[in-house]
Amino acid sequence: MNIFGKLMWFFRQNKRLYIVGLSFLFLTEISQMVSPALIGRFTDQVVSRTLTVENLVFYAGGIFLFALLMYVFRYAWITHIFQGSALLEKTLRQQLFDHYMKMDTTFYQRHRTGDLMAHATNDLSAIQRVASGGILMLVDSVVVIIFTVISMVIVVDWRLTLIGVLPLPLLVLGVRYLSPKMRQAFTSAQEAFSRLSNKSQESIAGVKAIKTLGQEMADVAVFESQVKDTIQINKRVALIDSLFGPMATVIMTISFVIMMTYGGSLVLNDQITIGQLVSFSTYLGLLVWPMFGLGQLFNVLERGNASYTRVQSILSEKSAIIEDEDGVVEQAKGDLNINIDQFTYPDGDPTKPALHNVHIMVKAGETLGIVGRVGAGKTTLIKLLLRQFDGYTGDIRVGDVNIKAYTFSAYLKSIGYVAQENFLFSTTVRDNIRFSDINKNQRDVMLAAKKADFNEDVLSLPDGYDTEVGEQGVSLSGGQKQRLAIARALITDPEILILDDALSAVDALTEKHILGTLKSERREKTTIIAAHRISSVMNADEIIVFDHGEIKERGTHASLIARNGWYAEMYQQQQLATELEDKLSGKGVNDVWKK
Amino acid sequence: MSGKNSSVWAKSIPIKEQIRVIVTLVRMAKPFRKMFFGALAIGAAFALLQAAAPRIIAYYMTTYLQQRDSVTLQVMISFAVLVAVIRVSQAVADALNAYYFTVAAEYALEDIRVQVFRKLHTLGMRFFDQVPAGSLVTRVNNDTASLADFWRFFMQLTFVVMSMIGAYIGMLTVSVKATLLMLIVVPFIVGSVILYQRFSSSLFRHMRERLSHLNAKIAESITGIDVIQEFYQEDRFKKSFAKVNGEYFNARFRMVKADALLLEPMVDMLLGAAMVLVFWYFGVMSMSTVVSAGVIYAFTTYLNNIFSPLESVMNLFSPFQEGLVSGYRILGILADDTYAPAQNVDAKQDITAGKIAFQHVDFSYDGQHQILKDLNFTANPGDTVALVGHTGSGKSSTINALMRFYEFQSGNILIDDHDIRDIALKNIRQKMGLVLQDPFMFFGDISSNIRMYDDTITDEQVKAAAEFVGADKFISALPGNYHAKVQEGGSGFSAGEKQLISFARAIVRDPKILILDEATANVDTETEALIQKSLLKMRQNRTTIAIAHRLSTIKDADLILVLDKGEVVEHGTHEELLQLQGQYYDLYRLQGITNDSN
Repeated sequence: MNIFGKLMWFFRQNKRLYIVGLSFLFLTEISQMVSPALIGRFTDQVVSRTLTVENLVFYAGGIFLFALLMYVFRYAWITHIFQGSALLEKTLRQQLFDHYMKMDTTFYQRHRTGDLMAHATNDLSAIQRVASGGILMLVDSVVVIIFTVISMVIVVDWRLTLIGVLPLPLLVLGVRYLSPKMRQAFTSAQEAFSRLSNKSQESIAGVKAIKTLGQEMADVAVFESQVKDTIQINKRVALIDSLFGPMATVIMTISFVIMMTYGGSLVLNDQITIGQLVSFSTYLGLLVWPMFGLGQLFNVLERGNASYTRVQSILSEKSAIIEDEDGVVEQAKGDLNINIDQFTYPDGDPTKPALHNVHIMVKAGETLGIVGRVGAGKTTLIKLLLRQFDGYTGDIRVGDVNIKAYTFSAYLKSIGYVAQENFLFSTTVRDNIRFSDINKNQRDVMLAAKKADFNEDVLSLPDGYDTEVGEQGVSLSGGQKQRLAIARALITDPEILILDDALSAVDALTEKHILGTLKSERREKTTIIAAHRISSVMNADEIIVFDHGEIKERGTHASLIARNGWYAEMYQQQQLATELEDKLSGKGVNDVWKK
Repeated sequence: MSGKNSSVWAKSIPIKEQIRVIVTLVRMAKPFRKMFFGALAIGAAFALLQAAAPRIIAYYMTTYLQQRDSVTLQVMISFAVLVAVIRVSQAVADALNAYYFTVAAEYALEDIRVQVFRKLHTLGMRFFDQVPAGSLVTRVNNDTASLADFWRFFMQLTFVVMSMIGAYIGMLTVSVKATLLMLIVVPFIVGSVILYQRFSSSLFRHMRERLSHLNAKIAESITGIDVIQEFYQEDRFKKSFAKVNGEYFNARFRMVKADALLLEPMVDMLLGAAMVLVFWYFGVMSMSTVVSAGVIYAFTTYLNNIFSPLESVMNLFSPFQEGLVSGYRILGILADDTYAPAQNVDAKQDITAGKIAFQHVDFSYDGQHQILKDLNFTANPGDTVALVGHTGSGKSSTINALMRFYEFQSGNILIDDHDIRDIALKNIRQKMGLVLQDPFMFFGDISSNIRMYDDTITDEQVKAAAEFVGADKFISALPGNYHAKVQEGGSGFSAGEKQLISFARAIVRDPKILILDEATANVDTETEALIQKSLLKMRQNRTTIAIAHRLSTIKDADLILVLDKGEVVEHGTHEELLQLQGQYYDLYRLQGITNDSN
């Protein structure tokens, strides 16, 4: 019940909607009481042959009038209450979405995409059901049951009512007994469904591997056996589900038997008329749904409550990254000064910091290269620069202002970032490139694409800059995606450009070309390049070698080679292998023929 | 929901198509017709029982309660028992009908689900290139699931018709004239059903389209959150989401209004209007002749029986539509003819020596862009042929043609001097082992990932293969060793470990021909050495075709082909190619190992 209390803020906000809706619902329920009474009176007068034309007009007209009135009432309450529930869903969905937009990396590590989606879909519809079906069931079960029973007492007879209605609570109990079983069966059916989904997902993703081994039919056999299990589970759902209606029929039968025998004897003893008996049977019929509703009400409220709690717990999570809203609003610009004493990931082991004693000074206009093995700390440092994590000791300053002291807008707009794997949105190439400023014109877009060596690729796409990419669009090769992402970062001509292994999928010539362009175009601006390939960083003003979160070597390419340490070794090794590997990497068929 | 959904929901399917889909889907349920018809027969029995009870109560009311004809306690009890028996049988019939129908629908949809899945496995790689994996998963699972409602709609429809017929039969036994009068309501019922269908179908479609749009937007924004935040575009996304969210709300509200206008309130009003007919007819009649209470009771009850199941049918319109769209998409897959390349009809040759010859092979994926042009080379048994070239030069395509993943257009591919199309596909899969660039790991354990459904492979063979490729070391360190759990996609295993397992997967079948699409993944130096070592071992005594990204690994190849835009521009051994001072030399020099003595 307290879910209604929790939703009170919403009901209050939409007072008018609910006052009108509930009033009409109330009117509808009350109006339902009229027609059984009219039928009974009518029957009596027909049977006793005392029906006059006026009375007939009165009864028939009454029935017709109430049919019309109820149509209006019903329309009014449905459109109000259900509009309210849709509005509730919309409001909560927007709250969730806005919340998602401001949450930090830690949040997204804790919650998987599927879960976040589930909150915005399944949970919201469970809550929405409270505000629609839940309200209806509540009003139904309270108002209709009370009024029907009262009407039965007034119109028919209190003894018959008392005994006749007696079996009906069994229906509530029966529904309450079956519902949890149904839910259990349904949950296992859903599990079976997701097992099948996972299986087919895997088979489709691994179709090449299966084809390679010629094991298609063996895979079908596995799928078939899972389908067999699923059928068994779904049969149980069907079984339980098929019991609800018949249960109501059986319980109503008890009332019918009472009506026929006890009610019949009342008629024979002239305690009630036969018309009243007819009224009674009609009133009985009115009680079926509310009883059903009463049985399910708790279920709906319980589920809604659980969903609401889940949604609220998501909404109450706070981002660890807090914007200084009164911070510096001038665009971040100038020397980059990194002084990190220590940084450990929120869930990390404090004795093994991810970064330790990292002090780097990059003058405006210089290029910093960062290398090191996987997990050495390159990306971690970049994450701090991007303000994905703030929990480090020490500070990072741009233009002698702590990056935490800028507003998000002032700081982030000065940064251009390209990752190794770049997410593209389901829209045109153009809108993906001008992602950071949707008002840029075609010239700007093209210029950025040219700098990223991507323009020619775009022109060979089916619709040029209007080609849809992303999940449903044309699939681009890894190298094309990286270059698009570079164009996306370059379009605003950011003060600080960060490339995190962002050239791994482009071949050596293109890489050289892009780096050359960057060098000449970004003479005044800072560039940070983290890479596996030494070739990406060898021309940097300073190169940092990370190892276990610390700076192990630093210097220019020449000095590091002369030092003959890890960098030099790596350089030699790559001469033997890696550089060419990337240069020649064939990313498969797709990119080739879609080009 | 994928965006592909939205495109289907955005436009309506032409009526003719709809009929075709309905007919085909109904036909597909044929193997389960016994169950379906059984359920329908029970449903008919239910309808008759439902019609019987009011008739008996009416008789009881008229004869015993009104006219008080020799009424005894015994009579009252026996009538009560009779009604109870009828209504309980009615309940039993109801349960059986619902259960059997649902189960029949379940069997039918699962059957289609397997058909779709099986069909997918007969389609060629080209198909999988074109259709996003996510939408195929939706086809196999969600679309087939919504067929349940498709069939339920038909059940409900027949059920309503039977209930109506039952009610009219019941009425007939009471009063023929009044029954005829009651037929007036039928056109209203049909009319309101049609009206609702008209209104709701486009509204529902619109709503569904907005919903999939909305969900796609949420999913995309969550996945792309890093980019959104990095480029400080949160506000733009919030705003555009508010728009999509508002559109969905509007669409949904329109649907609510249509339901409120034409669904339950309408049905109830029609019932009220029909009641007026009863009142009028029997009221007027009572002024001239005797009308019994039972008659009025029977007619009001029958009218209820006619109208009350109506709503459930109308409620199924939207799910039905959903089922129809799903069916349309399912049939689309089942009719797809992007099959895997076929072998010749009586292809039964085997691969014995492992000689491979490409003769004037032309190859294109789409029939427009030529990928391989006049490709010629021969790999003698035991040779290693390396393919070298830029992205898009045709290396992968050569392998795709050789593996029969795609059909080549002209020329010949000969294996052991037989046309590759004359070799049984089974033998190709057995004797040609392909090691993929991105080894896919299946849910299961290490052993099942090496064995890959082939139960003739013994545990010893699995172990031997793993040892041969040098994977045994890390496997024996795993908890459960060869039975260590593997998640889908192999998360938890490093790229190098996955490589080694895929080596074992190929080697356990002892192929005559080995095809290597060398991985580009970053692996640590130690694993890299292990991989190189086992590659060398694997190549021994096997014809090997290798796509090489690291020239250092193929220096000992018997033949190196340098591909450029689908053509062989240079070929020869490592030494020969270096002397040529062409593309290969450039590539090699770029790597900076020209001066390297080894």
